[in-house]
Amino acid sequence: MAPGSSAKQRDYDYLFKLVLIGDSGVGKSCLLLRFADDAFTESYISTIGVDFRFRTVKIDNKTVKLQIWDTAGQERFRTITSAYYRGADGIIMVFDVTSMESFDHVNDWLKEVNRYAAEGTVKLLVGNKSDRTADRVVTEVQAKEFADELGIPFIETSAKSSKNVEEAFLTMAGELIRQRDSRGGGNETSGIDLNGEKKAPGGGCC
Amino acid sequence: MLTELRKIGWNGIPPQYRGMSWKILLGYLPTNAMRRQQTLDRKRAEYKEAIQQHYYIDDNSRTVQEQETLRQVLVDVPRTAPEIQLFRNEKIKRALSRLLYIWAMRHPASSYVQGINDLATPLFAVFLADDYEGEDVLDGSVMVVLEEERLDEVEADVYWCLTNILAGIQDHYTADQPGIQRMVMRLQELVNRIDADLYNHIQSVGVQFMQFAFKWMNCLLLREFNLKCVIRLWDTYISEDGLKGFEDFHVYVCAAFMSQFSSQLQTMDFDELFQFMQQVPTEDWGETEIEMLLSHAYVLSTLFGGSDAHLTSASNGPVTSISM
Repeated sequence: MAPGSSAKQRDYDYLFKLVLIGDSGVGKSCLLLRFADDAFTESYISTIGVDFRFRTVKIDNKTVKLQIWDTAGQERFRTITSAYYRGADGIIMVFDVTSMESFDHVNDWLKEVNRYAAEGTVKLLVGNKSDRTADRVVTEVQAKEFADELGIPFIETSAKSSKNVEEAFLTMAGELIRQRDSRGGGNETSGIDLNGEKKAPGGGCC
Repeated sequence: MLTELRKIGWNGIPPQYRGMSWKILLGYLPTNAMRRQQTLDRKRAEYKEAIQQHYYIDDNSRTVQEQETLRQVLVDVPRTAPEIQLFRNEKIKRALSRLLYIWAMRHPASSYVQGINDLATPLFAVFLADDYEGEDVLDGSVMVVLEEERLDEVEADVYWCLTNILAGIQDHYTADQPGIQRMVMRLQELVNRIDADLYNHIQSVGVQFMQFAFKWMNCLLLREFNLKCVIRLWDTYISEDGLKGFEDFHVYVCAAFMSQFSSQLQTMDFDELFQFMQQVPTEDWGETEIEMLLSHAYVLSTLFGGSDAHLTSASNGPVTSISM
């Protein structure tokens, strides 16, 4: 890849920052690898601190750039990883459908999110490893009920078979577009648009 | 004698002497050859006892915290150095699981932290190679002929040597990982001094040092280089006085590493730079490249460190002024 020129034009209509969180070993990095590179490996290496990938997708003829932060699951890294919640537009909470523990911990993760993330951060619950039917211990119904109670969307994925991986990220992106459009935000990142230049010439809208 | 060994070791240790040298330099074996076997016997027996005491016990007698630690170790061991055949071997995996868990039990202030598993891999490779005159063991073929008792000895040796390495950098893995924060800030400060253009560029695209250098400190660049390169790097780290290589000198190595890619990095935007730093292209690197890197780091350490480096790291003074 040739390095881009420094004076780059913006090549997207929307830019969203997403963060993947959840217990160690539930498959956060594998989901991201599948989504960003359409690849899978059984022998993935643990994430230390945070990793970063981006992918640009088309939704309703709009170009949407997703910057995705993949975090380490271990508690010791929480100081580092929680810093990323704050700037996130969307947070994807991942558990492993073959691990009840990882599902139980979603509550703890949610607390973390509510503590650090900005209000209005869009959340999505993902149950990964749905291909491992024989080892499944968390049913889809159970997880769906839980998500409904929390009022957040839920989707089951398999990074291995790639089932629903695209859908999960696109669901999140779609939700973020809806939210931003309803705020009257348009194309820029939310903070700038709402406070800045728009108000002065156009008059109040909110 | 130790001083002599350090001096020689710093410039790279021949494979056939590496295992013994590392054990001496890491303070595991006495310099007095007469006392070595005795020390080995005692230490290996002590470790064997620890296995029974901590590892082979009923899960119900473990605390919740201990169960979680064991779970984390068992999640990480299968994904330790996944590209190296040696570490796919079941016996090696068992040895690694045991020693990581036992280390965690005996060091509750930090317990097991992801990335410590990586740090055991050079030790395994070097100590296993000891029986084969330093030959490459990474393809795992030695495991076919290796006797069980011999592996037990290697496991114990790895445990103790890892313990000694970690003793010098313990606050890298305690709550909030202050040691790592400190090293990242020192790296930031150092890059600013040696390569202001690069520093300013990184700042201007909005990438934070913590975002890429955290891993460099937490895993001591094991994720950045192939294991052969790391082993050569560790010859030098281990030979530094008081094992300061893993802390002080490592920061200079990281700075030298960055400045090597300076002109490339300065053409990159946020996305490119971040991705580049996550996967710095070092596939073709060998000992020659590592030795050039070490030379560069050494020059930096004499220019910007020397006796002052110790003051900086101990007092934590000047670095606090850097804004993140």
